[in-house]
Amino acid sequence: MEAICPECGATVELPADTMTSEIVVCPECGAELEVISLDPPTLALAPEVEEDWGE
Amino acid sequence: MQMNAVEFLETLLRIPSLSGQEGEAAAFLTARMREFGWYAFVDAAGNAVGQLGTTGPLVVLLGHIDTVPGMIPVRIQDGCLYGRGAVDAKGPFATFVQAARHLELTGRLRCRLVLIGATEEESASSRGAHYAREQYAPASCIIGEPSGWERVTLGYKGRLLVHYHLEQDAAHSAGEQPAAPEVMVAFWRELEAYCATVNAGRDRLFEQLLPSLRHVASGGDGMTDWCEATIGLRLPEGVEPDALAGHVASLAGSAKLRFEGGCPAFRSPRTTPLAGSFVRAIRQHGGKPGFLHKTGTADMNVVGPAWRCPIVAYGPGDSRLDHTPDEHLDLEEYQRAILVLADVLAQQV
Repeated sequence: MEAICPECGATVELPADTMTSEIVVCPECGAELEVISLDPPTLALAPEVEEDWGE
Repeated sequence: MQMNAVEFLETLLRIPSLSGQEGEAAAFLTARMREFGWYAFVDAAGNAVGQLGTTGPLVVLLGHIDTVPGMIPVRIQDGCLYGRGAVDAKGPFATFVQAARHLELTGRLRCRLVLIGATEEESASSRGAHYAREQYAPASCIIGEPSGWERVTLGYKGRLLVHYHLEQDAAHSAGEQPAAPEVMVAFWRELEAYCATVNAGRDRLFEQLLPSLRHVASGGDGMTDWCEATIGLRLPEGVEPDALAGHVASLAGSAKLRFEGGCPAFRSPRTTPLAGSFVRAIRQHGGKPGFLHKTGTADMNVVGPAWRCPIVAYGPGDSRLDHTPDEHLDLEEYQRAILVLADVLAQQV
């Protein structure tokens, strides 16, 4: 499977056993991407990392 | 008759369990886990341990059952359960127990689970986690701390506690010699300045070295004056506790320092299968997943570097309520987190 990196437009190879919501890394720009669909294979920027209190 | 999830947590909250005094809570938890048919025991560190599942990868669910002081009357009010530990972190550990039970009852358990209600997380010793670290080698680990049901914690800052003690000959306050408290304040200001140097150009709190002055006292007996202080330091990645202690000591002049609870920051990537499992489960339950880096320290700092496996922290609750007199847990969120976690565990095969 192949999908397009939404950050840089590069083609990202996805293994056959890829699951939705897996987070992969674009080999071109290093962006971390969530697999939001397998049919067709579609990537979006992974959920953001925020800062929080505790513990 | 077995308790439902709310009764289970409410009963646990009614059992006081300050750090080092977790025995009754551990006995309650192991009794309940045995009722489920799990193998349950209190280990040598006082941890309440439950085990279930016979095949598949080993997944450790490591929460803590001790709390900070402060008696909050246990009650349900407007859909929220109030009580010390509701958020930090009996609520998250109760979520572990209930999710594991739900997973088992729905026939989806395909891994080996070890649930650990650890002791002394709220003290610098982290006794329970240090003991557990040497007992298991899991394929993945979930730490029980409040993240909110839609979010997952990937990392915590490190920590170093500094106990400062200065004694000097007594002198007249009109004389030239700075008083012992003045010497301590000068040390504190130097330490603040050093942290500001480290933090130059760093915007995120997770990347900053943050000092906090937690205790100050002074006195004298006419012959000797003294001042003592306790300073907490929250460490970013790249600042090692031992090296920092050496630098702090170089600022302290003739004062005696004692260091405690040193541990480096720890961060897990969001690209692990475990993190993906959470994203999937949260979306399936209608949530919008997000990740967190926390400015505090948790048992993830103890076991993460040793186990080197996919690891996150998860649990219902708003961590802004940690250690506050208003600590409470939204019961709807508690139930959602149980279902999300059960779905995550069902994916561990």
